[in-house]
Amino acid sequence: MSGRLRAWLDERLGLEAFRHLAEKKEVPVHRHTFWYYWGGMTLFLFGVQVVTGILLLLYYRASADEAYESVRFIMTQVSFGWLIRSIHSWSANLMIGAAMVHMFSTFLMKAYRAPREVTWLSGMGLLALCLAFGFSGYLLPWNQLAFFATKVGTEITGATPVIGSFLLRFLRGGEHITGGTLTRFFGFHVAILPAIATVVLGLHLYLVQRHGMSLPPGLEASGTPRPAMKFVPNFLLRDMVGWLAALGVLALLSALFPWELGIKADPYSSAPAGIRPEWYFGWMFQTLRMLPSHILGLEGELVGILGIGLGGVIWLLAPFLDDPRGIGRRGRLLSALGVIAIVYVVGFTLIVYRRGKP
Amino acid sequence: MSPRPAAWVPLLALLASTGAAHAAPAPKNSCLDCHRTLDDRRLSAPTVSFAQDIHAVRGLGCVGCHGGNPVDPEMTAMDPDHGFKGAPTRTQIAELCASCHADAAYMKRFNPQPYIFSMAEFRTSVHCKKISEGDAKVATCTNCHGVHGILPHKDPRSPVYRRNVPATCSKCHNAEYMKGRTVPTNQYALYVSSVHGKALLEKGDLSAPACNNCHGNHGAVPPNTRDISVVCGTCHGREGELFAKSKVSQTLELEGKRGCVTCHGNHDVQVPSDAMISAGPEGVCGRCHAAGSPGAKAAAVIVPRFQALKSRLAEADSLLNVAERRGMETSAGRELLKQSEDQILNLRAVLHSFDLAPIQAVMAEGSGLADRAHREGLLALRDWRNRRIGMALSLGVILVLMAGLMLKIRRMEST
Repeated sequence: MSGRLRAWLDERLGLEAFRHLAEKKEVPVHRHTFWYYWGGMTLFLFGVQVVTGILLLLYYRASADEAYESVRFIMTQVSFGWLIRSIHSWSANLMIGAAMVHMFSTFLMKAYRAPREVTWLSGMGLLALCLAFGFSGYLLPWNQLAFFATKVGTEITGATPVIGSFLLRFLRGGEHITGGTLTRFFGFHVAILPAIATVVLGLHLYLVQRHGMSLPPGLEASGTPRPAMKFVPNFLLRDMVGWLAALGVLALLSALFPWELGIKADPYSSAPAGIRPEWYFGWMFQTLRMLPSHILGLEGELVGILGIGLGGVIWLLAPFLDDPRGIGRRGRLLSALGVIAIVYVVGFTLIVYRRGKP
Repeated sequence: MSPRPAAWVPLLALLASTGAAHAAPAPKNSCLDCHRTLDDRRLSAPTVSFAQDIHAVRGLGCVGCHGGNPVDPEMTAMDPDHGFKGAPTRTQIAELCASCHADAAYMKRFNPQPYIFSMAEFRTSVHCKKISEGDAKVATCTNCHGVHGILPHKDPRSPVYRRNVPATCSKCHNAEYMKGRTVPTNQYALYVSSVHGKALLEKGDLSAPACNNCHGNHGAVPPNTRDISVVCGTCHGREGELFAKSKVSQTLELEGKRGCVTCHGNHDVQVPSDAMISAGPEGVCGRCHAAGSPGAKAAAVIVPRFQALKSRLAEADSLLNVAERRGMETSAGRELLKQSEDQILNLRAVLHSFDLAPIQAVMAEGSGLADRAHREGLLALRDWRNRRIGMALSLGVILVLMAGLMLKIRRMEST
């Protein structure tokens, strides 16, 4: 019976082609294979976000009058609502963490080299989308901390040269953070960003499938044949072990450290003490904080934003700046840049959290 | 109708100075010019302090109160024929001040919403009555407001600024000044230690009452027995209203006792405590209600239930605190707890009705809310335990699945 059904489906959907593709795909085995799992881990956590996000959407109401109350209702009245919200919040953070590990490992293994330049660019686009998801989702519970963190975050965006003022009004939907901003952020979070993410993620996965896994330059240069494992089932089963571990960590975090709701946002109250952005924006926040008020006659914040922007452009253009084989002087320079970037981001993030207060 | 000299003389001076400002230098004030040079400080000091006087600030000169001719540089300036009146006597002062301050039309020239002094009100005061009887040691306007350096009552330097009123009153109402009189003299010491005194003098809370808020200022009298609940009720509205309608209020009035003061005291009123509600030695009920009397029996019904309500609230608060420390969301329980605490506040007011039925109704409502808050706390803690059990079970399932997958990988790759 199942054989006839499979034949019926194969005739209509071309399943045999997928099976052939899965059988053909292989993953190189070497001492850096561990880092290949982080893309799948990010994708799994993204899936968790989609499922829990849809469940939250059943009860969440996006207005300044009802948002906080609806999240409280989810946490106190809806069966397992607290768990869904906690998993959504924790998974968002783990997803961004996994995406960063994936990006840095890709950079250091120089997997961005030809012909994978567009894979790198689409991956960077996905990380930017993850950060945008995080920024827009943070405001949605409409609590005091989220309100003022968004105020500070949008103010920093407003300091961008030329388009800063437009960006600030575009994000806030006016001069100030109001119920209109909440509705707008909700729209970004559940409609605009998911639509863009679907397209970019589709492109990224297609390119990964098309070009296969990249070998680090050292191994590639040796030219000796390398052992490999089948993607299905060997690599996929290992992936699933990792996903289950991630699920366990999520269960542990959600039960032991349920995500707080805080107190409802009050635009007329003063900003709460210890206000700081989410950890993944911490290094940028700390950079801007440590700069003097003026540098070479320009505002310190402006110089900081320009510097971070320039660094981002260099990072994005790494595939075009590096040596095509990832070796030589340019290759070493780019590798050093990657290490410096990791130390800088980790170090500055730790400074924000070590001080307790930004 | 001709204007009073006290009003038109300074006005003319003011008009003259205003007009002259455009044409010629301001005319000299011969009062100040001469008095400034006098050796007798009693006569020269006013020329210094008058500069900041509200009357001087508003352009009114010496002639407003003393008459005379300020543009005459000779001694003839003080000629009675020129309207010179000299220093008014103590019995004349209030009438002199009233000649302007009781005139609404005149006062409106300086302030669109002026305070209008009432001589009729002043005559109701003990101060005025004593002055009329020839008592020279009793306060009149200048004793409280000052003489040649009078400041607006909203100026913190003014002796009649709210925070300064108790000290101003105590300048006379003290044992030394009141020697030989029957007036009590410990009010200031008692007031300073009272809840009102601490609020006003230590915390600077200008909504707290000073002496004049209960006794009146220009019509200052001790509130009589009947008026006490009205006096206290001006601020403590609900308590005053409930007490005024109560049987206890009527009984105290018949017995000549002074309402609120019977339980709370007057100048030394302290923060009321719940311990006051008791027929025992620690409470105030026993002062009037003997053991076994209906009042004592009512207190015996109220006190244990009130204590039980407060204990329930404390228990609920403690449970919610534990749940919060464990990361649970307790806002619904907190809201119920707050409503229950509101009922405690309500109960403290309703107690002034001295009627068991409404008191019990409020206690029942408060207890119901406290019970619900308590239940929310228990539920939160039960949820917390369930979450841990759920987490342990799910981790077990996850670990089994992981082990199964790893086993499968090993078997698959060993063949």
